[in-house]
Amino acid sequence: MQTSTLIYLVRRVINAVVTLLLLIFIIFVLVHTIAPTPVALARIYCGSPHCPPAELQVIIQQYGLSLPLPVQFAHYVVNIFHGNFGIDTLYKVPELQVIGQLLPITLELVITGLIFAVIIGLFTGSIAAANRNNPIDYSIKAVYLVTWSAPVFLVGFILQLFLAYELKLLPPSGLANPTLGNPPPVTGYPYLSAVPQPLQGWLSGLVRAITSPPLIDAAVEGDWRFFVSGVHHLVLPALAIAVTSFGVVTRLTRASMIDALDRDYVKLSFMKGLSKNRVVYGTAFRNAVIPIITLIALLFGFSTAGAVVIEDIFQYHGMGYFTVQAIYNLDYIAILAITIIVGISVIAANLVADLLYGWADPRVRLE
Amino acid sequence: MGVKEIVKKFLGYRGTIPTATVVKEGEEERRLSGYRFYLDYLIKDKVAAVALAIITLFTAWSVVEGTLQYVGYATRHRALGWALLPSNPIALNFAASLHPPSLSHFPVYIFGTNFSGESILSRLLYAAPKDALAAYLVVFSGIIIGMLVGTFAGYFGGWADEVLMRVTDAFLALPGLVLAIALSVLLGSGYNSVLISLILIWWPTYARFFRAQALSLKSRGFVEASKLSGQNSLMIILRHIFPNSVDPVIAYAALDFGNVILTYSTLAFLGIGIQPPYPEWGSMSSNGLPYFPQNWWWSIIPGLVIMTVVVCFTLIGDRMQDLIGGRLTY
Repeated sequence: MQTSTLIYLVRRVINAVVTLLLLIFIIFVLVHTIAPTPVALARIYCGSPHCPPAELQVIIQQYGLSLPLPVQFAHYVVNIFHGNFGIDTLYKVPELQVIGQLLPITLELVITGLIFAVIIGLFTGSIAAANRNNPIDYSIKAVYLVTWSAPVFLVGFILQLFLAYELKLLPPSGLANPTLGNPPPVTGYPYLSAVPQPLQGWLSGLVRAITSPPLIDAAVEGDWRFFVSGVHHLVLPALAIAVTSFGVVTRLTRASMIDALDRDYVKLSFMKGLSKNRVVYGTAFRNAVIPIITLIALLFGFSTAGAVVIEDIFQYHGMGYFTVQAIYNLDYIAILAITIIVGISVIAANLVADLLYGWADPRVRLE
Repeated sequence: MGVKEIVKKFLGYRGTIPTATVVKEGEEERRLSGYRFYLDYLIKDKVAAVALAIITLFTAWSVVEGTLQYVGYATRHRALGWALLPSNPIALNFAASLHPPSLSHFPVYIFGTNFSGESILSRLLYAAPKDALAAYLVVFSGIIIGMLVGTFAGYFGGWADEVLMRVTDAFLALPGLVLAIALSVLLGSGYNSVLISLILIWWPTYARFFRAQALSLKSRGFVEASKLSGQNSLMIILRHIFPNSVDPVIAYAALDFGNVILTYSTLAFLGIGIQPPYPEWGSMSSNGLPYFPQNWWWSIIPGLVIMTVVVCFTLIGDRMQDLIGGRLTY
């Protein structure tokens, strides 16, 4: 590995960690500004406006809310890095356990939606660039201006109404056919016990996130009926996410395609006598795709936020659905945990996008 | 590239090109003719003119209805709030429960009714001022906070600048909606807590934008000249940096009004903000969820209204961005 590559890598990772720490700090400061006294904080943690004083005292003791602020912040950061987000007020189990089960489902949905969005965006964007300033270009622009201005829930409702209820192409709601039992989760990670104790929580969470989306579980266990049903139920919400977010991809693809089409190597390809389609969708397209990578992180955050609404409409019981339940139940510990975990996911997505970009376009590494 | 080329290139615009010119060098000239120029241009472009008309109507209605609601609230004559509406937006009328959109009793049933028999049209009109206020207040607060923080950081540089960039990075790392959910649930239910949380999360984009402007402006000739003439930094910022960096932000702000309305109504959809019986565009849509496929109008029509308003803001912002000639970097 070259030194410049290594420096690039290290710098990006440090950047991500600093951003994460600052995010935790900002959330900490905002929470403590809104609830400045231990009792006010305890009332929020309690999750009920009519919490008896004795219980408030217990919560203050339990979470150390009367300690000096720097100490509290240190505890907070250490707890987060140990994967300890507190006990859910509703389910009475550690928060990471609840979210650990739900996050994979949401990731499955968001990543599928992103793949759809990128495919639709690349396709429409390159068509728009190839037909620059003619009616095809304008109609594509009109479509994406409308879809990115549409509230997520409207898109969800309309897709559900037409594709599920009118045309009956896809099931309207749910994770999978409820008459099929859930596939048993993949269990037993023997290598985990070799890891030092504080990291185990996180690592097992990470491994679960990769191996435990229900579809992957089903595929690993060979439960193909569940798999097919799961894919069937996944398409509609993923499509809803894709429809709300593909416009950004279209716009950037169009711009970078137009830029690429003016370059000398494209002119050379034309001069060599290659057909227009070959040049536009082959030569120019391959170079125009690179900037799209930077959009991945942005789209990931946007889609994760959209998934909260989409999962509510499609009764897709993942982390987004859990967020809505937490809002209704004033389950504040859950909301804070979700906020930080979404933050971590988005920062990780940013890091991945940066590294991918550095890999795809070596010039970036020399900056 | 001149304005004419930009207009032709980006829009295929075939009408008369406005004669006012936007020049890169003489900043004074641009500032004087700027706003007249935008307006002139928007009116001559048909799509943008329609969008501008809808937004003007939306804003004017919001001002009138909002004033009536406030006066009614202050003088304890709540009925004043629905004096101009076709029907009382919060009166139960189960005889008309779930009436589909129709032209009978025009215009009360034109968008149908909800389960309680309240006219969707009246409720939409009643809720409009809250959305308009949220959009304008949040964006203008974002601009003011961002301008103060961003300009000073960009102009003076140093460690304050570094800290600011890290803080805005952290803010922008989270999707705005997620942070808004966390803050507004924490602040308690109600309209004000949503406004406060939106303002808290909305400024970083503008701070970065104004920082970039200040960075590029501070090495320009006229700033250097006033520095040499012995003006202090505060006066330079007030006289030169602020006025020159506001102009390009307008296009982004026009687009951003729509973003605020989207976020605000999504929060309302999730049950955060104004509580029943008072209507809110987003929450009307989510209240129709249990009745959805049969009584589609309850959920879909508020969504369509939100979309119309946001599309109009987006169109205006988009045209203005074309005019300025390229995307904004922040």
